[in-house]
Amino acid sequence: MKLLPKLLGVLVAAFIAAPLFIVVPMSFSTAPSLEFPPPGYWLGYYAAYFTDERWTQPTINSLIIAFGTMALTMLLVTPATFAVVRHRFFGRGLANLMLTMPMAMPHIVLAIGYYSYLGDLRLTQTHLGVIIAHTALSVPVAFLILSANLKGFDRNLERAAMSLGATPLRTFWHVTLPVLRPGFAISALFAFIQSFDETVVAIFISGRESETLPRKMFESIRMQADPVISVVSTLLFAAVALVILAPVVWKAVRKRPNRDCARGGTPAAKDAAPQDVNPCAPSRVQLEA
Amino acid sequence: MRDPYLQVSGLTKSYGSVQALGGVSLDVEKGEFVTFLGPSGSGKTTTLMIIAGFENATSGSVRVGGRSLSNIPPHARNIGIVFQNYALFPHKTALQNIMFPLDMRGVPAAEAERKARAMLDLVGLSGYGDRWPKDMSGGQQQRIALARALVFEPSLLLLDEPLGALDKNLREQMQIEIKRIQKSLGVTTIFVTHDQSEAMTMSDRIAVFEKGRIDQIGTPQEVYRTPSTPFVARFIGDSNLLPGTVLDPDQGLVRTEHLGLMRLPSRLAAAAGAPVTLMLRPESIHLAGLAAGVSEDAPNRADISVHTVVPYGDSTLLIGRAGGADLRIRLRGPEADGIGSGAALSVLWPASAIHAIPAV
Amino acid sequence: MLSVLNRGAAAPGALKPWLLLLPLVLFLCAFFLVPLGQVALMSVTEPEFGLGNYAHLTSDSLYLQVFINTFLTALGVALCCLLLGYPLAYLMAQSSPRVAALLMLLVTMSFWTSFLVRTYAWMVLLGNNGPITAALAFLGWNPPPHLLFTRLSSTLAMVHILIPYMVMSLYSVMKRIDPALLRAAESLGARPWSVFRQVYLPLSAPGMVNGATLVFMICLGFYVTPVLLGSPQEQMVAGLIGTQIEEFLDFGQASAMAMVLLASTMIVLTVYHRRFGLDRLWG
Repeated sequence: MKLLPKLLGVLVAAFIAAPLFIVVPMSFSTAPSLEFPPPGYWLGYYAAYFTDERWTQPTINSLIIAFGTMALTMLLVTPATFAVVRHRFFGRGLANLMLTMPMAMPHIVLAIGYYSYLGDLRLTQTHLGVIIAHTALSVPVAFLILSANLKGFDRNLERAAMSLGATPLRTFWHVTLPVLRPGFAISALFAFIQSFDETVVAIFISGRESETLPRKMFESIRMQADPVISVVSTLLFAAVALVILAPVVWKAVRKRPNRDCARGGTPAAKDAAPQDVNPCAPSRVQLEA
Repeated sequence: MRDPYLQVSGLTKSYGSVQALGGVSLDVEKGEFVTFLGPSGSGKTTTLMIIAGFENATSGSVRVGGRSLSNIPPHARNIGIVFQNYALFPHKTALQNIMFPLDMRGVPAAEAERKARAMLDLVGLSGYGDRWPKDMSGGQQQRIALARALVFEPSLLLLDEPLGALDKNLREQMQIEIKRIQKSLGVTTIFVTHDQSEAMTMSDRIAVFEKGRIDQIGTPQEVYRTPSTPFVARFIGDSNLLPGTVLDPDQGLVRTEHLGLMRLPSRLAAAAGAPVTLMLRPESIHLAGLAAGVSEDAPNRADISVHTVVPYGDSTLLIGRAGGADLRIRLRGPEADGIGSGAALSVLWPASAIHAIPAV
Repeated sequence: MLSVLNRGAAAPGALKPWLLLLPLVLFLCAFFLVPLGQVALMSVTEPEFGLGNYAHLTSDSLYLQVFINTFLTALGVALCCLLLGYPLAYLMAQSSPRVAALLMLLVTMSFWTSFLVRTYAWMVLLGNNGPITAALAFLGWNPPPHLLFTRLSSTLAMVHILIPYMVMSLYSVMKRIDPALLRAAESLGARPWSVFRQVYLPLSAPGMVNGATLVFMICLGFYVTPVLLGSPQEQMVAGLIGTQIEEFLDFGQASAMAMVLLASTMIVLTVYHRRFGLDRLWG
């Protein structure tokens, strides 16, 4: 391979990496405002983040809202996904379109809609209001991931269970659900992250009572660039790294020879194709911003 | 003495500690059709890729027309290749695919098109120039790939298992077709396959690969009738291999482990007591009493009890026990009628059917 | 609904999928379609019934300027992402699985890191006391230029934020290019540049179109980064919509702009859908 394109590629990789890692030293900086390299290091702003209610409360709010969104999304999406994937019926294309549509909406457009509509319903500035809005936004991702998993499901497993005497309900409970568990888990995780990261709608509808972390960060950056923001950034970045690296590490552990043999040697694990790192990453297509 | 057209000498190739090629040498004359035959992993494709310039040999050299190819990049080697799955450019039409090498050589568009159309004619796809590869059948794609590899009059044509993806009937048709086109252009050709019948029907000579080496190079008849190693005997056609020791080299007498004494047509080039393997093709074994012109006297005979009968339609394969080993016998047409599992038969074979493979 | 039932009558159990879908469909109607409809409604009723808000959009050159600015920015960001993303995706496609996995890890990590975190990182990098300003000063640019809150800073950050979409689109297509095609081109006499130009580039074009469409579309409605990093004089549509609501409570005007933004996004999507099919876009 030619050297020049290779070099260019490495430079772009550096361009992607640099801003991600710069927030880490910033979080330990003693500087009260943006300054790099930091004049000194301490843990003061970590202490500030964990003790200041103006930061802890939005964090708690975000967690509540993200869990609520995840639960509501899965509750609604699961039966709908089975309907769309397993059945051929009139209106299926329309249903498909409707379930993926929120993905194509610029969030600012929906933000205005929710601002006035949820305002009319007296749901702005409440946890429930944000959960509802975030659920609508999370539906497409959860649906796409779950339906991809469901399409790959071998229905002969269910047929086998039923031929062995399991009722449809027991078949679902003992066969379908356990086999699809990873799909459910990833789908739910995406719904969670979708909500936890969502900024624009939250800026407009999460008020004092339900202010989310992204909204607090946005305000904080806009107002005075509170140094605590670098702590939050580092923690969020660390969380992402943890979630992404965990499966990689897990795979590496599983690849140990003795385990490998016990599992009949998984050839798939061997050529750890890059896309395996995060099979669903490209599905996070959202016009959020 | 004139140099051979293609001269491959002493090619080795190692990947780390794994040796893929252990010294491959062969000479090919201009216009010859040589097949590399061998199981997968035997080094035939690696050799082909080194000739094409996609792999570098660890040592050894490749010369075409007296010129070393060592430092010539693939695009300047002027070698036409038909790849396993054809490798037709999906974003170009059939005609554009064929014109591609001419375009690369700066041939003016009009002339390139004329030549490409002539190639389309040659491969029998005159009206198909504007088709996309995905809209063509496997056989048609195959022909386009062949046309593309030949249109620039390459010094060498390499075919890498080109028929593997086709079904049986089409395959036979394409074998004849490729042979016809190769003959008509007189292009020196190397054909890689693991299918021995393909190798037999198409080649002027066959090079049998095993474990990174060439076991034998010869005409199809030579490799079939006088294999130089047990591997070649097993890989090409069906065979009975009988281990034994030389008893009397001048008389051509060998004592086999399972079938006792055997007489060969001529004297042996080995010392008495030396180990030797005898090869006996199943189709040269006959039922005693039915074989006209085969002398009935011992030693070239055996009594067997049949345990498996496999009908092939035009012939029948019998497998039976004789002297503690299996013996395979292939009978033509109706000869095997009425023979079932458990039958006891007396069989014999002419001395000329026995070929001695010296132990290595 | 009647027609649904009638058609379903032919196939027993045709009601079941609709029962399974019902909760979600009702939810989306109530909390997605209705709010969206309300935006459309507000654009023609606030403050008074009529197309006044839309007329205003065309008559006031400020709005036109913002739309043009948004469009050009999105175009520029998509182009930059393409130019930068291509070498990286190419590097990944040509590297050993281990190196490719490592680079993919980096891209994925950036992808999942909150927009806000990445925006903030650029504030640090481009700030007056940041490393880039310091480097420029060191190189003799005195006084160093003011980088933050300019078109440059917001564009740079948006490119950084959106480049993972581009790299993933490109990489998924490049990985599927059969290496035999490149060898074939080479054996047919193509020099390295011709192999790239005639074979690799056209075969990776679908990835370029996918990535550019995604980036362009996301960029059109980008709110956070332009608001935080951009120049207040050169707003983008989403930012202006926000200002209209937060500062002027002008729902009618904001809704009208939102509808135009929505329509633009839909046009891009539709054109893409007509040519390539939407299901490919979401990967």
